[in-house]
Formats: sequence, structure tokens, C-alpha cells
Amino acid sequence: MTTDETERGPTRHYVVDEADLDDGDRVLVEIEGREIGVFNVDGDLYALANHCVHMGGPVCEGRLMGYFTADDDGDLRYERDGEILACPWHGWEFDVETGEHIAGSKYRLPTYDVTVEDGEVYVLA
Amino acid sequence: MPTQTAVRSVEDLNTTVVDADFHLTEGIEEIRPYVDGPMEKMLVGSSSYSGGVNPYPSSGDLHPSVVTGRTRVFNEEKLATPADVREGMDLLGIDRVSLDPGIQLALGMVHHDQVAAALATAYNEYLLDTFLSEDDGLYGSAVVAPQRPDLAAEEIDDRADESSVAAVFLPSGGVNPPLGDRRYDPIYDACERADLPLLLHNVSGGAITSFPIQHQAFGRHMPTHVVSHPMQHMVNLTHMLTTGVPERFPDLRIVFQEAGLGWVPYLVNRLDYEYYGQRQDAPVLKRPPSEYVDEQCYFTSQPVEGMDKPGYVAQVIRLMGGEHNLMFASDYPHHDFDHADDLLRQLTGEFDRKAIEAIFGGTATEVYRFR
Repeated sequence: MTTDETERGPTRHYVVDEADLDDGDRVLVEIEGREIGVFNVDGDLYALANHCVHMGGPVCEGRLMGYFTADDDGDLRYERDGEILACPWHGWEFDVETGEHIAGSKYRLPTYDVTVEDGEVYVLA
Repeated sequence: MPTQTAVRSVEDLNTTVVDADFHLTEGIEEIRPYVDGPMEKMLVGSSSYSGGVNPYPSSGDLHPSVVTGRTRVFNEEKLATPADVREGMDLLGIDRVSLDPGIQLALGMVHHDQVAAALATAYNEYLLDTFLSEDDGLYGSAVVAPQRPDLAAEEIDDRADESSVAAVFLPSGGVNPPLGDRRYDPIYDACERADLPLLLHNVSGGAITSFPIQHQAFGRHMPTHVVSHPMQHMVNLTHMLTTGVPERFPDLRIVFQEAGLGWVPYLVNRLDYEYYGQRQDAPVLKRPPSEYVDEQCYFTSQPVEGMDKPGYVAQVIRLMGGEHNLMFASDYPHHDFDHADDLLRQLTGEFDRKAIEAIFGGTATEVYRFR
């Protein structure tokens, strides 16, 4: 649903009422043929393309989890729980905030700006 | 030579698109009811995990995307019916599969040789009963146990008349001795007799029995997974060529699954080079090893490496002679499956339509016994 038009660039699309997107929740919406996932992570809202840059899997349907790093001795740590999105097809992991593939490749999921006005969540796409 | 007309998806190809490695997901619980004869009594305790026995060994390596629950297709969705198979085929855009097994991938490591043979027979009954007799368009590969080549040959003879059986599947991960040993000759003989190709497929956990010391040192799944498939294939193909299996079984078609591409040109060129200087160690061969590979060996594509390196895939396919010996495979529904269109994009503009159609179905249609 288009509620605002600008001369150029992305258009604002209503997604969901803020009250219906609790911490840890997500919604999938289709905007002009693109599937986009909108996430609430600790009160911050993020929007990413639901199309994995690896092989096109439904990445926004995957688990939100943390990821493992190692300290100087090589012992494993678990960090950023709930901020890493894993594609359910092959397990490729992306930073939900930036869309960046966390294994350091050149791959990145497209991200979209999210705004809230009068308790309604909008995506700019 | 570029493709003549636009090929954007495998559905645009004028060939029956074949997936040369598409897996079922059975475990002991599906197979146990089909075990018959004395070994049925041997496995009574395996019907329940409460103090029961799982006959399939595990190397114990923890698969990170599986144990953390990242991959859904492989973790949660079992292929229990022909409809489940069709769903995966539709996802990938493929027309035909020869179903390969799930837990039988570890059959070559089952410690008890008679149990192993009984499990192979039971799996084949399960395959026919649950999938092949329920859906006329499906084919499957009949599993045999390398521990008992005599019983494996009987199993092949027993399945030879099944029109829905398109191949023989030998779980080759962990086999000892390697497959050039003459003890396996009855299997090769039976494959020739039945006009069925022999599929060789390894499993990461196979490293526990064939390369146990290095496996323990790895201590992680990723390095195990990277080396165990091609390393085991290199051992078996090298041994089979050294002892002359393709010379002695000239009608045998051998398919090496799930090890990607680059190991093939490396090994074949290395073998030829050694053979030119040390022919006496492979005295059964009458020609250089590469000629036998060209004529009797085939390779399935997944997991295609180097797709993010421009030109790599097309180049390595040319080096291995892939226009004639490479068969697309997805490995669906495992965590590292390849999508058909992803490989296709690497080939359009690099190969003509004939070569592309060979890779996506033409070669498999000749190698497998689809009838």
C-alpha cells in the first residue's frame, strides 16, 4: 500500500502496526514484487530482502541467533544473540542490521530503511 | 561458443533435466521394519533407542549448521512420501531423479558385515515400497553393502529386473580395503550384468574409519567435510585404476558423487604423468589412466566450488571433459545442496546448448538405466 510519493527514490509502504511487532517478532511483506522481512530486534526495526544472495533461499524465514567467535586462545564465544539471521537453506549468516554476510565475503543482503509514524511501521522501498 | 537462444532456467532446456544425487532422509526407524531373516533377531534392540542399538556408526563430528539449527530443510523436513520428493524436484526445476539414500550413506562403516548386507536389502524394500511403487515417474538406486561383495552381487541380481531401479549405490566412505581390491569384483560383474551404473558416494563421517588419526586432529566438521569426499574418491579411483578395474570390466560405468569438480583434472593428469614413468605398478592397464576415466567414469557436480570466481567453473569443466562426463546433482535436501539454475548461470555464454543439455540430463539419461 503506497501512502506517500516522492519525486524520485524509494516509496513509503505501510507494513504493520508497531504494537503488533514485539521484540523478537518479524513480518514478511510483498512490496512491488519484492519480498521483504521486517524485524524487531531489541526494539530496533530492520528490513531485509527475503532473497538470499547465495542461492535465492527465503533468508528472512530463517533463525535469528548469535554467532560464534574465538578469543585469542581459540576458545569459542557466543555473541550478539538474536542479531544474526541464518538462511534456512544453507545456513549462510547475515548481520540483521547491515545485511552483511558475517563470513567476510563480498556478499550482502539488500536492506531497507524503516520508519515509525503514529504507531505505524513503514518500509522505504 | 555462446548459447544460441536464451536459456534463463533449466526449464528452458530441451532435455529431461536429471538430478544425479537427490537424497531420501531415512533413518534406522524407517528401515528396521523391513529387516528380515536372522538379522531381524540381531536388531531387536534397535527398534527403540532406550537402551537399543543404532547400527550406523557416527564419527561424532558436530555439523555446525545442523546442530545450531540454522538449516531448516535438512533439519526438520523429512522426505517421507513421493509428494515430498516432488516438492523438492519442483523447487529445483528438475524432471527426474534417481533417489539416493539417507543414513545408508554410513552403511560402508557398519561393523557387522551380515547386518550391513541385511540393512541394504531392507533399505531397497523400503525404497520400492514407499516411493518407487507409489509414483511411476520416480527411479531409485539400489544400495549394496561393500562388507559382503558376494551378498551385494546377489542383491544386484535380485533388483536387476525392477524397472524403477536405475543404478547401484555403493556407500564408499570408509571402505577398507579401497575399491580396487579384487574382493569387490562380484559387485562390478553384477553391475555389468544388470547394465546398471555403480554410484560411489562418501560421507564426512567416513573419515573416522578410513582416516581416523587425521579426523581426530581436525576436531571440527568443516575441514572434515571439505577433504573427506574428494580424498576418499581419490583413494578409490586411484586404486581402481591401478588394479585395472575398468580394463577388466569394460562395460562398467562408475559415478563419483558429491566431491565437486577441481579434484578430477588434478588427479587424472597426475595419474597419467606417474603412469608414463611407472607403468609396472599398474600392469593390467593397456592405456593411460585418463583414457579409462574418459570412457567409463562420470562425476556429479555438487558441491560446485568457485562459483564466485569468474571463469573458474567453466574452465575446470573444460579441463575435466565435463561436456561428456559431468552430471548436474543437487544433493537436496542436505545442508549444502546446489540449485540447478545457479550452476546453469555459470555455463550459459560459455558452452553451447548441446553441452549444457548434456550436463543437465543428457549424460545422466545415458549413464543411468532409466526405462
